[in-house]
Amino acid sequence: MRKQSKFLILFLAVVLVVGLLSGCGKKEETKGPDISRGEEETGGKTTKEEVKEEIKIGTIGPLTGDVASYGISTKKGVEVAVDEFNQKGGINGKPVRLISEDTRGEQTETANAASKLVERDKVTAIVGGVISSETMTAGPITNDAKVVMISSSSTAVGVPEIGDYVFRNCLSDEVQAVQLAEFAVEELGLKKFAVMFTNNDYGLSLKDAFEKRAKELAEVTGIETYNDGEKDFRTQLTKLKGKNPDALYIAGYYTEAAKIAQQAKEQGLDVAILGADGFYSPILVELGGDAVEGSVFTAGFFTDDPAENAQKFVKAFKSKFNEEPDMFAAQAYDAAMILLTAIENAGGVGGEAHQKEMLKIKDYPGITGSTSFTPIGDVVKDIIILKVENGKFTKLR
Amino acid sequence: MSYYSQILTVIIINSILAVSLNLVSGYTGQLSLGHATFMGLGAYAATLFALKLQSPFLVSIILGAAVAAFFGFVIGVPTLRLKGDYLAIATLGFGEITKNILLNLKITGGPMGLRGIPKVTNVYVAAAALVLVIFSLNRIINSRVGKSFIAIREDELAAESMGINTTRFKILAFVIGAFYAGLAGGLYAFLFRYINPKDFGFMRSIEILCMVVLGGMGNTYGAVFGAAIITILPEFLRSVSPVVAQYRMVLYGLLLVVMMIVKPQGIISESSLSNKKREKSLEKGGL
Repeated sequence: MRKQSKFLILFLAVVLVVGLLSGCGKKEETKGPDISRGEEETGGKTTKEEVKEEIKIGTIGPLTGDVASYGISTKKGVEVAVDEFNQKGGINGKPVRLISEDTRGEQTETANAASKLVERDKVTAIVGGVISSETMTAGPITNDAKVVMISSSSTAVGVPEIGDYVFRNCLSDEVQAVQLAEFAVEELGLKKFAVMFTNNDYGLSLKDAFEKRAKELAEVTGIETYNDGEKDFRTQLTKLKGKNPDALYIAGYYTEAAKIAQQAKEQGLDVAILGADGFYSPILVELGGDAVEGSVFTAGFFTDDPAENAQKFVKAFKSKFNEEPDMFAAQAYDAAMILLTAIENAGGVGGEAHQKEMLKIKDYPGITGSTSFTPIGDVVKDIIILKVENGKFTKLR
Repeated sequence: MSYYSQILTVIIINSILAVSLNLVSGYTGQLSLGHATFMGLGAYAATLFALKLQSPFLVSIILGAAVAAFFGFVIGVPTLRLKGDYLAIATLGFGEITKNILLNLKITGGPMGLRGIPKVTNVYVAAAALVLVIFSLNRIINSRVGKSFIAIREDELAAESMGINTTRFKILAFVIGAFYAGLAGGLYAFLFRYINPKDFGFMRSIEILCMVVLGGMGNTYGAVFGAAIITILPEFLRSVSPVVAQYRMVLYGLLLVVMMIVKPQGIISESSLSNKKREKSLEKGGL
């Protein structure tokens, strides 16, 4: 009996603590100047009336923990987009406010963050999650609440299928490989491909997609594998040379790619080098020198992109954070810009109208490529293709 | 589901986990670092029963718990002959093996996990489960079996000399603990509608252990209390003020350290009670 009543007391204590928690939350809404919630804050009090006057969007992503760097980049990209909208006077005269929630990359925290944004902060839309498991957890919650959520970096299969209100704005490994194969055949006129791939999920999915598409369009003469960290690729290259290809697709990262290119040249396999976003680093040219000259690869974003909007973003990002934006920031910026544009088109409201406007987005001129959505909310865009020219990256497409 | 009821549901699920680990570590004195593994096995099994065989929710989570208990038995038989640190390392190894198997099997969806789980768990379902778990645990602890668990914790050699088959009782505690953890895993899967091997890793095991140690080893209500604190703290810090929210994980760690310094025996501890009893009996001149 005593134990049972003790349990009751404890249960009550728990309920009380939760009650306390909710009390705190409500107080916070009406509390005075709020410093952090971002630089987007219009300043001054956030009274109930004023809350209605602003458009709130949220981000969900890891700001602490071992995948924090992706989440922080994403948040910064979104901040630049929000600033841009606020500078031109917000949406229909209402300022945009950003609320960023941390997930630690963990499931429970993600679910809590999503519920908090949807329910307590009543955000109009969300950019997130950053890693695929976050999007999978937060997606059903925001979808139930009819809040549009767009992920800028979850490449996993099944993300857009979560529901009508879940979108994404990033290209999977498969898409890059397929688009590069098409580009190589149609624009560069290459016909016989050899493939070298690093033996992990990244290399494997690139290789599979490239092989499939290249076989449909032209010919794949040989496929060899290597492991990250290896230095000698002569055995594989000799075998590939015997097949007489006119291009070598390297599905891997820049360090090994640079060495492969050099050794290929030494072996007399002087062919066009093709690659994926694993190539995108100045180290490729540093290590590869002449051997990587003229190589062509896909990338999610190009910092020196001469396009006006891209330069505007890079400048805004640099002046705000004093660092170069990475691919995560660029994709998040595009995702946020698309999201906010759709809110504007929907007359400043979220929910169903917003979702319909999202689907109407056609050939949006993003900094990571021209963007449209499929009816289920997956992205369709032309990926950026770069070329090494005189030791520098230039944009081919 | 509202934000607060979601947090409350997570607290209840974590309570079941903490209470079940408390049976193994708190009452029986066996340090297990693989408790999240049983939760994961329960979650995966329950999900697979529901998705592939279309079994109803209740059947699924109970079958899931049974699968976890079965694995608890399989792993318990060889490892529970080990003591102390060795057992901890063995359970840790088991956790890693299971995680890698879940990551590579086709049926578990590999690193993509399983999605499209119906949402059934709510506060009431979870609370009912917790009440049942605590009720049955109390019955076990107050029975001869429970007394044997405590005897093993206090002094394994003495317990053995009293005629307790220590290995058998340790395995029993382990299996019961795994069953409840599997149950919690099932509830978890049907709450979040998506599971992924990463969420049942070593860090989760440590988190559950934290709940037990913080609340007080060897006290069921202490474990519930610890679970509530560990679950609420990060969420609470999220909403105090945005400045605090930025450093919430630092504060979270700091608060845990301070609590352990101020009250090393846990917030509600049974051992502190039994120590007093022991002191009293020592005063009287004997054990």
